[in-house]
Amino acid sequence: MSESPRPELVAEGFPGRPRPRWVELATSADHKDIGRILITGALGFLFLAAVEMLLMRLQLAIPENSFMTPVGFNRMLSTYGVTAIFFFAIPLVMGFFYYVAPLQVGARGTALPRLGQLGLALFGAGTILYYAGFMFTPSEAGVNPLSPLTELAFLSNNGVDAWATATGLATLGFVFLAIDLLTTLRRMRAPGMAWRRVPIFAWAATVGCWLMLAIGPVLLAALTMLMIDRNYDGIFFADGSGGAPLLWQHLSWIFYTGAYMLILIFAFGAIAEIVATFAGKPLFNRPAVMGSLAVIAVVGTLAWMQNMLTAPIGIGWMYFAMLMSLVLVVPFGLILFNLISTLVGGALRMRAPLLFAIGAISMISIGLAAELEQSLVAAAWQIKNTTDATASTHFALVGGAVFGGFAALHYWFPKMTGRTMGEYLSRLSFWTMIVGTLVAFVPLFFAGAEQGQVIDAYKFFSGKGLDAYNLIASIGVLILGIGIVMTLVNAIQSRVNGAEAGHDPWGGDTLEWFTLSPPEPHNFDVLPDVRSTRPMRDIREAIANRTARSEQQARESQPVA
Amino acid sequence: MAPHSPGTDQIDTLLWIGFIAAAIVVVVVNVALFRAVRKYRSERGAEPRQLTSGRGIQFRVAGALTVFAAIVFILAVVFTDKAQQQPTTGAAGLAAAKERPLEIKATGQQWLWRYEYPNGAFSYYKLVVPVDTAVQLNLVSTDVVHTWNVPDLAGKHDAVPGKTNEVVFRADEEGSFGGEAATLSGQAYAAMRTDVEVVSPQAYEAFIEQQQSEIEAAQQRVVGLIENGEVP
Repeated sequence: MSESPRPELVAEGFPGRPRPRWVELATSADHKDIGRILITGALGFLFLAAVEMLLMRLQLAIPENSFMTPVGFNRMLSTYGVTAIFFFAIPLVMGFFYYVAPLQVGARGTALPRLGQLGLALFGAGTILYYAGFMFTPSEAGVNPLSPLTELAFLSNNGVDAWATATGLATLGFVFLAIDLLTTLRRMRAPGMAWRRVPIFAWAATVGCWLMLAIGPVLLAALTMLMIDRNYDGIFFADGSGGAPLLWQHLSWIFYTGAYMLILIFAFGAIAEIVATFAGKPLFNRPAVMGSLAVIAVVGTLAWMQNMLTAPIGIGWMYFAMLMSLVLVVPFGLILFNLISTLVGGALRMRAPLLFAIGAISMISIGLAAELEQSLVAAAWQIKNTTDATASTHFALVGGAVFGGFAALHYWFPKMTGRTMGEYLSRLSFWTMIVGTLVAFVPLFFAGAEQGQVIDAYKFFSGKGLDAYNLIASIGVLILGIGIVMTLVNAIQSRVNGAEAGHDPWGGDTLEWFTLSPPEPHNFDVLPDVRSTRPMRDIREAIANRTARSEQQARESQPVA
Repeated sequence: MAPHSPGTDQIDTLLWIGFIAAAIVVVVVNVALFRAVRKYRSERGAEPRQLTSGRGIQFRVAGALTVFAAIVFILAVVFTDKAQQQPTTGAAGLAAAKERPLEIKATGQQWLWRYEYPNGAFSYYKLVVPVDTAVQLNLVSTDVVHTWNVPDLAGKHDAVPGKTNEVVFRADEEGSFGGEAATLSGQAYAAMRTDVEVVSPQAYEAFIEQQQSEIEAAQQRVVGLIENGEVP
C-alpha cells in the first residue's frame, strides 16, 4: 500500500504564480510597502510643490509682472497649498511613521493592515482627484480657503468642490493610517518594550497619530459643512442668514495648526534618533523630550487662534492664543536644549543624515523664533498676512518637512532599499538647500515686516522698496528647488546604484536595525527581549562579549607547546 | 513703515521687543548648535561620553524658558493694551470729536472700500479724516472676508460679514497714507487698495459737505430723470 503524498510537502518549492512588482505593491497590506508608496508619492509631490512655488516666485520676481493672470496665480497658490501640505508634508510624515515605527517597537506587521491599505488608497484617490481637477478648474481660494469666499455665490465653478473632496479623501486616509498605527503601537510592541523604552521616533509617531485622530475629524467636519453649503443650499459658513464665516476659520485653523505641530513632532522625533546615533550617545534626557512632544501636540493645537488675531474674536481670546503660543517656548526650548546637549561630548560622524538633521534644527529655530514674534497680539496686527508670515511658516515647515524629511530619508533609506544614498550629492544638495532657504525667505522677513508686503497677492507695486527683496527671494527659491531636486535624483539613483548597506549601516540603537535591509515581509524571525532603551546596543554588546569569551576559551584550550 | 498714530507707536515698540526676543532665540540656538558640531567631531578621536541628564538640569532649563516666555508675554500684553486704547482728539483736531471719536463705517466689498461719514456722505477708495482726531472705523463686509490694512495708521483688522470689527487711530500729521487689503478675496484682490487722506478739520468738513451735496444732486437728477420718464 502506497502512502498518498502529503500536499504541503508537494507544494514545497512549487513556484508561485509570478506577479508583476507593481501588482504586488498595489495590493500589498504590508506596512513597509504602504510606507514606501506614501514616502515616494510625497517626494514626487515635493517636486511638484517646488515647481509651483517657483512659478509663483517667477511671477513675483519683478513688480507688476504679467507672467500670470490673477486667476491663474490664485489657482497656482491653492494648488501649491494643497500639494505642499496634504500631498507632500503630511503623507511624508505618516509614511515614515508607518514604515519605521512598527519596526522600531518590534512588531511583525500592523494591527489593522487593511485599514492602512484603505488609508493609502484614499490618499491616492485624493491626489488623483485634485490633479484631475487641475485639468479643468482648480480652486482659486488660497492655501486655507476662508469662507465665505468659498461659498457658491463667490466661486461658482467646481474648483472648491474638487479641493474639498481631495483634501477630505486624503485626510480620511491619514486618519485611517493613524488608527492602524496607533493600535499597532499600543498592542503589538515586543516583549519588554514598555512605553518608557519605546524609541523616540516611535513615541513621536504615537503622539502624531493621536494628534491626527484629534484634528483630522475636525477638518472632515468642516469640509462636510462646506460641501453641504455649496451643493445643498446650506448656510453653515454663509453670512447674513444665520451662518458663521468665523466657524470655518476656527475649524480649519485647528487642523492647519495641528498639522504644523505634527510636522515638527515628526521632525524632532527623527532628528532625536539621528543625533543620538551619529553622536554615539543616548539622548540627553528622554523623558523631557517625550513629554515635550506630547505638550507640543496639545498646547500647539490649542494655539490655533494665533492665526485669527486680526479677526473679530475678542481681545481675551487673542491673549489666550498668545499665551498658548508662548507656553510652547518651554517644550520647544527643552527639545532643542536636549538635542544640542546630545551632540555635546559625542563623537560626531558628519554623514548626510546628521548634516540634514543639524540643518533642520537651525532652520526650525529661525521659523519658531519668527513665529514667536507673529504670536504677540499687537505685533501680529502689523505683520500677520504679510510676507513675514510666509517666511516664518516656511522656515519652520521647510526646516521640518524638507530638511527633517531628508534627514529621515537619508537615515532610513538603507533600511528601505538596502543601499545608502550617495554622500557627495547629499552634501552638495544640503549646502545648496541651506543657501536657497536663507536667500529665499530672509528677504521676505524684511519685505513683510518693514515694507508690509501683503500675502497671497499676484503682484506687488514698484516704488515701495519691494523690488530687490522679491527678486532675491525668487532667486533663492530657484536655488532651493535645485537643491531639493539633487536629493530626489540622488534617491532615485541610489535605489539601484547605491553602496550596499547591510542591516545596520549607522550603528543604530533601535530595533529596525535588527532586521534585514530591506526587511522581510514578516520583519523579524526572532525578537530579542527588550531590556533598555537601546536594544541594538545591548545585542551588539552581548555579541562582543560572547565573541571575546569564545576566543578566550579557544586560547585557553590550546595545548601548551 | 513709519508709525503715524499712538497705536502704531506702541505696535512699533512691540515689534522691536518681538524682534529682540526672536533674535535671542536664533542666536542662542544656532551658536550652541554650531559650537557643538565644530567641537565634537569623531575626528578628534575621543570616545563618546555616555552622558545623560538628571531632572535637575531639565527643571532649571524649563524654569529659565518659562521666565523668558513670561517676560515676553507680559510685555506683549502691556503694549497690546496700550495699542488698542481709544486715543483722544487733540487740540488741533475736529471739535465735534472731542468727547466721542469720529465714527466712520468702512465696508469691504469685492474689491473696494466704501467709507460712510456721520453726515450720510460716502466715498469709495479714498478715506478723508481730520488730523489729530480720534477716529473709529467700524469694519463690516458685504461679501467675503477683507482685511483693512493701512500700516502707518493702525494695525490690520478683518472685515467679516455679519460681524463688526473696530479700528481706532489718530493721525498725527496731514498727508496721504496708502494701504492694501491683506486677505485673499478673489481675483482682483491685489488691486484692492485704499488711501487715507489726513487733512485739517476744516478741509474734512468741507469735503464731507461737498460730497454730500454732490451725492444729493446726483440723486435728485436721477429722481428727475425717472419722473420725466427718461429712465425706465
